[in-house]
Amino acid sequence: MSDFDGLRQNLSRMFGQVLSHVPALAQTWGRTFESVISEEVPFTRLPKPLREVRLALATTGGVHLRNQTPFDMADSRGDATFRPLPAATPREDLMITHDYYDHTNAVRDLNILFPLEHLRDLVAAGHIGSLGTCYGFMGHIEPPHLEALINETAPEAARLMREEGVDALLLTPG
Amino acid sequence: MGLIARAAEAAGIATVSIVGLREIAERVRPPRTVHLKWPFGHPLGEPGNAAQQLNVIHYALEKLYTAEEPGLIFEPDWRWRRERYALPEGWDF
Repeated sequence: MSDFDGLRQNLSRMFGQVLSHVPALAQTWGRTFESVISEEVPFTRLPKPLREVRLALATTGGVHLRNQTPFDMADSRGDATFRPLPAATPREDLMITHDYYDHTNAVRDLNILFPLEHLRDLVAAGHIGSLGTCYGFMGHIEPPHLEALINETAPEAARLMREEGVDALLLTPG
Repeated sequence: MGLIARAAEAAGIATVSIVGLREIAERVRPPRTVHLKWPFGHPLGEPGNAAQQLNVIHYALEKLYTAEEPGLIFEPDWRWRRERYALPEGWDF
């Protein structure tokens, strides 16, 4: 990592922490953030009731299993890879690697970010059909990794979900 | 995150994304978005407040059925704190 990259990364980390605590500043940042601009929007209707739906959960909050390789925090442009998270994973086997937001509270109660326990309860109560494998990504992805996310890793995760018969996906940010 | 939602939706999976920044959702345009202007790292609310978290889940899953057109952004206008949440009822969407 070059000195410049290291400096850039430390500034990003500090900025992410500040944004976590000052919503008004976060809104301003959102207006200037260089994001992909989309015109067309894909749309799939859900043809079955929730009690029959296989639901998956995905987050960009950097959630992964303790025994999986953590997201790459050394690259200031982010990490476009994902981690499959089995729906039966116990809470204690999950952790967060993501330096760009304050996840102190999410570590205390993961349901505020990755509500797998609530979804399992809803399946047990018969409200949701079943859960598919869930997915952990990290946000804060910039070029050239943004292209990898769009062209490779996001479509690959979608393909795996389809293969498993997933009907619907709930997504949460970091 | 909207980009992941778009990839899943294009593959035939209905998606709903919870976001904290409306401005990004307006540009990336996830298929269905729930916007809650709450602090980063707290998309479903406060730690320990299961009723609040379940209300967000209920509201979001309902949008899988009631969003009539692509790209809509829904805002329940709930406050981050000092809002009283009852456990949501009626999951028969």
